Amino acid sequence: MNKKTSTSASDDIILNLNVLAAEKEDARQKLAITAGKLAMTAKKLAITANEKERVRRKLAITALEKERVRRKLAITATKLATTAKKLAVTAMNLRISHETLERKVSERTKSLEIVSAKEGAILLSIGDGLIATDEIGIIILINKTAEKLLGKRREDVVGRPFSNITLFENETSEPIPLEMHPVSMALRNGTTTTGTTYYNMLKDETRFPVSITVTPVILNGNVIGTIKIFRDITYERDIDKAKTEFVSLASHQLRTPLSTVNWYAEMLLAGDVGELNKRQIKYLQEVYASNQRMVELVNALLDVSSLELGTFVIEPRSTNICVLARNVIHEQKPQINIKKVRFQFICSKNIPHMQADPKLLRMVLQNILSNSIKYTPTGGKIKLSISVIKKRVQIKISDTGYGIPKKQHHKIFTKLFRADNVREKDTDGTGLGLYIVKSIVEKSGGKIWFESPVEDKGTTFFVTLPIKSEVIKSFI
Amino acid sequence: MQLQKTILIIEDEKSLREALVDIMNLKNFTSLDARNGKEGVKIALAKHPDLILLDLIMPEMDGLQAFQKIRQDAWGKNVPIIVLTNLSENNERFSINKTSNEQTYYLIKSDWKLHDIVKKIQEILGE
Repeated sequence: MNKKTSTSASDDIILNLNVLAAEKEDARQKLAITAGKLAMTAKKLAITANEKERVRRKLAITALEKERVRRKLAITATKLATTAKKLAVTAMNLRISHETLERKVSERTKSLEIVSAKEGAILLSIGDGLIATDEIGIIILINKTAEKLLGKRREDVVGRPFSNITLFENETSEPIPLEMHPVSMALRNGTTTTGTTYYNMLKDETRFPVSITVTPVILNGNVIGTIKIFRDITYERDIDKAKTEFVSLASHQLRTPLSTVNWYAEMLLAGDVGELNKRQIKYLQEVYASNQRMVELVNALLDVSSLELGTFVIEPRSTNICVLARNVIHEQKPQINIKKVRFQFICSKNIPHMQADPKLLRMVLQNILSNSIKYTPTGGKIKLSISVIKKRVQIKISDTGYGIPKKQHHKIFTKLFRADNVREKDTDGTGLGLYIVKSIVEKSGGKIWFESPVEDKGTTFFVTLPIKSEVIKSFI
Repeated sequence: MQLQKTILIIEDEKSLREALVDIMNLKNFTSLDARNGKEGVKIALAKHPDLILLDLIMPEMDGLQAFQKIRQDAWGKNVPIIVLTNLSENNERFSINKTSNEQTYYLIKSDWKLHDIVKKIQEILGE
């Protein structure tokens, strides 16, 4: 028994050991599986940890961002607060400005009202007639003087076209067409017109001379209305006429003593009452020459007054201007010779006979020629040419004389004007010649002008005249 | 010897009248003179001068009236008359219609020399 028993016991132990080993194996295998699972779990955990780390990092970054944004927001908030403060200040300032502005506007409005009231009063009470129109010529304002001058009441005039109220005629009673009316021209072209030759026609057909100024009212380059100022100049005209008549009368009276001196000096000089000695002749020649100057002055004054009074007797007839010019040149030959002037005269062949008063034409030629001779120094050149240009006769006279000072060009046709540079050289002139010439030329439907670009380098005068002069009507 | 022609001078201004009388006599004319239109017409119609020099503005009777009176006369309508005046030709009051009679002339005193007036007279009278 013991052995047996021991064998069995060992077998048991072995068996048990085997079982144990198997269990161990099993356990090991399970452990291995568990270990594998654990390893997997560990791996998963590791991954999760990574993820977590990434997330944590991201979170950290986000936190940073958040912090940055928060800071920015804080700054922005500060700024906003500042801006809000500023805005508040601005708003306050604006309110103050607004109030100031309103006050100013109201002050200005008040002062404008005062100015406007004053201007209104001035416009309405000035001594000249005043009519204002809008941009299409409807009358918007008329002052008392204008009402009186035109014999119309404000309520009959305001709101109506200007053309219904004031018509114009020229000096010769011809109506001025509407499109040439100064107000029309101001509206159409923005032209300012100043003149003294218009006559206002009243409803009852009476007419009187007026001096007018029409000015466009311009805003941003557009004509938005017109202002017409006008004045009855009947009285001035009458005074002017009286003055001219006085000059005429006085001049006629002057001619009698002048004739006396002329005739007696002439008889003495001719030796009609005995021989004179040389010195007596010289003295008497001075007397005679001076007297002759006076005669010429009086004649010029009479011509002026005749022109101004319109009492020139005009006798237009068929006139050969070339023949007339030759006669005038012939008369002035002595002066041309004394001055040793080289004189050239050209008259085109095709010049027709003109229908003009030879007496007036002669005066024109005489004046411009004698001026040229007088104001050209010894040895100079003068050229007179007559031609037909554009169906008009053109007289052109150029000299190498003293010329006309530039600053006095605009005065050269003025009555009694004499240019500075000739005043000393020639004391004879009356200052009436060119005034007379211009009157005649213009009343004959012609034109006169000159060129004298450089002083001391001569002058050229141009006169153009219609071949058939429209003249005359306007003279009478 | 040719008979001297007679010139009647009607002029109120003494100095001018005398100058005219002197020159006429110097140039072998017989002169008559009157101091106004009325006197002038009377002498003209009585003496029938060959030519009349007639001023316009004169007392008593002015030159225009004298002119008309002389021209109304049978003899006077053809006598040469030189209106010798200082009025411009266009003076309305004294405008004389020259075209009605060729024997009427119009001279401005201050523009005419005495010797030229004499020449004009000689020319008119055909001398």
